[in-house]
Amino acid sequence: MTTNSELTTPKGRTIGRGINWKLFMQDNLTGSWMQTITVLFLALVTGFFAYGRYEALPIATLVVLGAWVLGIVAVVIGELFHKHTSLSRWLKENLLNSFSNSLLTLFIALVLVSAINGIWQWGYVNANFNPAETTPEFRSDNGATWGVLWGARKLLMTGWLEPVHSWRVWLSLGFILTMWALTYVTSRPALKEKLRTVRKVLNGFWLLSPVVLYIFFAGVPAGEYNIRGIIIGVCVLVAIYALLWSQKVIPFNWSSIVTTAFAWPLLYTIWWFIGNSGQFSPIDPDKWGGLMLTLIIASSVIVLAFPLGMVLALARRSEVFGIPAWLIWPVAVATTLWGFTTTPELLATSRNLVEQIMSFWPLLILAIAYMIHQVFNGNIVAGAGTTFIELIRSVPLITLLFMGIVMAPFFSGEGVSIPKPWLVIVGYTLFSSAYMAEAIRGGLQAIPKGQYEASDALGFNGSQKMRFIILPQALRIVIPAIVGQFIGAFKSSSLVSIVGLFDFLGINRSIVSNPDWLGLRLELYVFMAVIYFTGSSVMSAYSRKLEAQLGLGDR
Amino acid sequence: MTQTPAAPSPEPQAMPLWRRLLGYIFDVRVLGVLGQIGFILLVVFAVRSISSNFADNAQRLGESQFICRDGSFSYRCAYDFMESESGFDISDTMIDHTNTDPYWRTFYVGVLNTLKVAIFGVILTTLLGTVMGVARLSDNWLISKIALWYVELMRNTPLLIQIFFIYFGVILTAPELNEALQPLGLPLFISRRGLNFPSLQFTSSSAIWIAFLVLGIIQIQVTSVILGRREERTGQPSNRLQTGLIAFMLIAGLGWFVSSAVSDSQGLLVTKASRIRELGDMDKLMLQRTGANHLDDLAAFSEEELDAAAFQICALDDSSSETNLTRQLRKMDIPYRIRRYEVPDKAADNYASGKCEMFVASKTILAAERSTLESPSSHLIISVKEAPIVWSLPAREGLNLVGGGRMRPEFVALLLALVLFYGSNLAEIVRAGILAISKGQNEAARALGLTEGQRLQLIVLPQALRVIIPPGIGVALSLAKDTSLGIAIGFPDMYAVSYTTMNQSGRVLQLFVLIMLMYMLISLAFSVLLNWYNEKIKLVER
Repeated sequence: MTTNSELTTPKGRTIGRGINWKLFMQDNLTGSWMQTITVLFLALVTGFFAYGRYEALPIATLVVLGAWVLGIVAVVIGELFHKHTSLSRWLKENLLNSFSNSLLTLFIALVLVSAINGIWQWGYVNANFNPAETTPEFRSDNGATWGVLWGARKLLMTGWLEPVHSWRVWLSLGFILTMWALTYVTSRPALKEKLRTVRKVLNGFWLLSPVVLYIFFAGVPAGEYNIRGIIIGVCVLVAIYALLWSQKVIPFNWSSIVTTAFAWPLLYTIWWFIGNSGQFSPIDPDKWGGLMLTLIIASSVIVLAFPLGMVLALARRSEVFGIPAWLIWPVAVATTLWGFTTTPELLATSRNLVEQIMSFWPLLILAIAYMIHQVFNGNIVAGAGTTFIELIRSVPLITLLFMGIVMAPFFSGEGVSIPKPWLVIVGYTLFSSAYMAEAIRGGLQAIPKGQYEASDALGFNGSQKMRFIILPQALRIVIPAIVGQFIGAFKSSSLVSIVGLFDFLGINRSIVSNPDWLGLRLELYVFMAVIYFTGSSVMSAYSRKLEAQLGLGDR
Repeated sequence: MTQTPAAPSPEPQAMPLWRRLLGYIFDVRVLGVLGQIGFILLVVFAVRSISSNFADNAQRLGESQFICRDGSFSYRCAYDFMESESGFDISDTMIDHTNTDPYWRTFYVGVLNTLKVAIFGVILTTLLGTVMGVARLSDNWLISKIALWYVELMRNTPLLIQIFFIYFGVILTAPELNEALQPLGLPLFISRRGLNFPSLQFTSSSAIWIAFLVLGIIQIQVTSVILGRREERTGQPSNRLQTGLIAFMLIAGLGWFVSSAVSDSQGLLVTKASRIRELGDMDKLMLQRTGANHLDDLAAFSEEELDAAAFQICALDDSSSETNLTRQLRKMDIPYRIRRYEVPDKAADNYASGKCEMFVASKTILAAERSTLESPSSHLIISVKEAPIVWSLPAREGLNLVGGGRMRPEFVALLLALVLFYGSNLAEIVRAGILAISKGQNEAARALGLTEGQRLQLIVLPQALRVIIPPGIGVALSLAKDTSLGIAIGFPDMYAVSYTTMNQSGRVLQLFVLIMLMYMLISLAFSVLLNWYNEKIKLVER
């Protein structure tokens, strides 16, 4: 410990102008015995390490050492004569501000140089870039064989999709890029007001884009024109419209109801027409693979999990009037008593203690009734939402994915076989929606109570309150969390490779078992990491931009 | 817009009875309750239909799923198959396991492996995350940038790729076992067969020593209470902790000698003809054999001469008796050769056939094996004293490494990847926690003259902990769940073991229920533990 009780500056020899040598040493070396030992130890380690690196990489090490010494000289001169250049000031503040930091800087710089040198040697100097030379006789011992990336590009991008269909992948790529470009252009401030109708049409297309992409990727089977389906569809759409209108969330006008009513028949007819024209013949989803499958799974999960998560979050926080206790308990007790009629027989045939305990299963009903009454105040909506979210959150994603694939035949009807990607998407969506719900719930909780009370005072009903007051604010708050979920969905979609899908990560099982590319794992992993890194970084950069646009930080 | 406000309703008394009843029924609360009851009925109905569907399919797809031993079909026999022989080996086990063990034990081995990764993972992640979170805020530009890149790289790439990369790209490119790397000459061996490291072996007398340690801990409490009372009474200050610790060390040291002295459960089986009656006789015998005057003279002997004179000892694989004996022999400079066997009777057979002169094991094993020898009375069991805990150091022996502990490459890869990935998540949380502390606290700490380390340790981290712990719990839970990714590189955790069991037995549903329950249990245990900790350190608000 330094002696802080001294009020006067200790007298020490001063060099230059105003440098107190004694205080300087006290700050850097002799302040406490721990500090002295640390600095000496660091110096020793750095010295030995530098010597070792010098023997391995003389030139680079000398360059680093030289730069370090020059930096120190610059800083020392700047300090002594109070003539800092901008460089020496930066060095002094960021790299060389104390003995230990200077030594650390040298040490880390040397480690960095050797690491970068290793990567450089492997990835470029010793590497072979020729796609034709990927078999073992062309490979160098410590160099990458990047040719595999070009050679296996089809597998990497689309998996086992037949080449006849690749134009559809290009088409969908073009579609998405065009949509993005148009959205970007029309949302420029200069054009924003002028092109309102264009923007509305674009939004409509964005809404439809999942269907369009589905048609591109999965195709449409030919079929009969189904009148009954049209009528049911129209009824459902109009019913939703009526519900929203009765909740006073959307206003009533004739043009919108006519649009709603006619949208379904129109779309169905287009669908049917495409199916019968045979242009987009169905593709077996099990043939999907590579980056395409990863993107399909990730975006489906993102698109599906968001609304589901919102519903779950609202359910968990719902405050509807619960089932009263006088209704819960009689029913529960009656059911329990009825259930106990089976107990004597179960007890009589039980073989061990576990089964004896299990014979008293009706007690579970009482436990559930207790939970509903005591924990959730009889509120089934909140109870169901909470139970679902907590159950899903407590198991790993991979078990849900696997359950989707393995258990589906047990629960589906006979003779029905669903392609693996759909099963995986369902399992993954359930998983993701639970986490999404928690993120959104965080936003809902962050809204001050006054907002709820004010909307109540304005006479808003529950739906209006949510639609116009709470959700717009809550969702804005949780944008970072939601984008985090999106990034997570994108990254974790690689887990489907464990359950046997050939997604971007899973396809490398096929690639490395090909005799041409046998065992070229590292190159593939590096490439995949780069792609995932880019995708995730773009998403998080977009999220930061969105946050800045909405002025989240300014509040 | 047609949203006209509802006309003011007339006074309820003025309404006829039927309208009032209608009003009750269409009350939003009544409707809500009815809706919820409908929801329950819907759920019950859905469960019924799914389970009837399941029953049909269970009959069709795998009737054997619920077959009892007597051949009848019953749901209660769902887990009966778990008692049958598993028939597969597990590469990484913490407890003894063979392929003849039942599925239950196999599952138990898997659960232990999951817990092993999860617990080590959480501990190491905490360390790495804290260091990296602090490094992000370092005033050394280079360090903070490296920490930033570490965090960005780890957070923006999938965990699974990291696991694969570390397993295939780092660990499997390490040298073979016979050329294992030995960093700085330490007894640590890194090879593609994993990491061999020095380990502590608890011998049979360790129980006594641990009892002494417990006694010591109780003593600390008692001393503290007594000294505290005296302090209150007389006002005479005393260093309670120091007194307690010194007494603790005395007790521990005493316990070490006592437990070493009273232990006699380890033994050496020798023939009477060998003229060894106790361990101390071995050096005399060795001197006789070699014709040397002093054991130090053996240094001048050639390799072949030593080999000829060395005691040939039989031992069991991974036994602490062997570590204990060889340690004492090395101390006495007595040359020896060890042969290891998996099962006692093999070792005893070799002892009987004269391949080795001695057989070291626990006394109970030796007594049992001696009785199977031809003339048991001509064989003696002499006691080998042992320390309660012995170091077992890995060492090269031929092409192999013996002794010490070993982490398998799958375990190392999984642990390393999990720690690196979740360390980056935790680093961000730690950074946010530190940044959440008001500037005044830092300035006050500096004004008090605390060093940077003291400021961090005494002022910043204790306060930041309150912000860090709740999201940190989330990281720990995710880590515990993501141990299931071990299946990708063949680490036999609970999920991987269950997966093999599923493939072998065809019982899918039962095992899924089991693993889901186990994961829920683990999550629950973790969150209860960490929430309890959170409650403890939480700022007490007035």
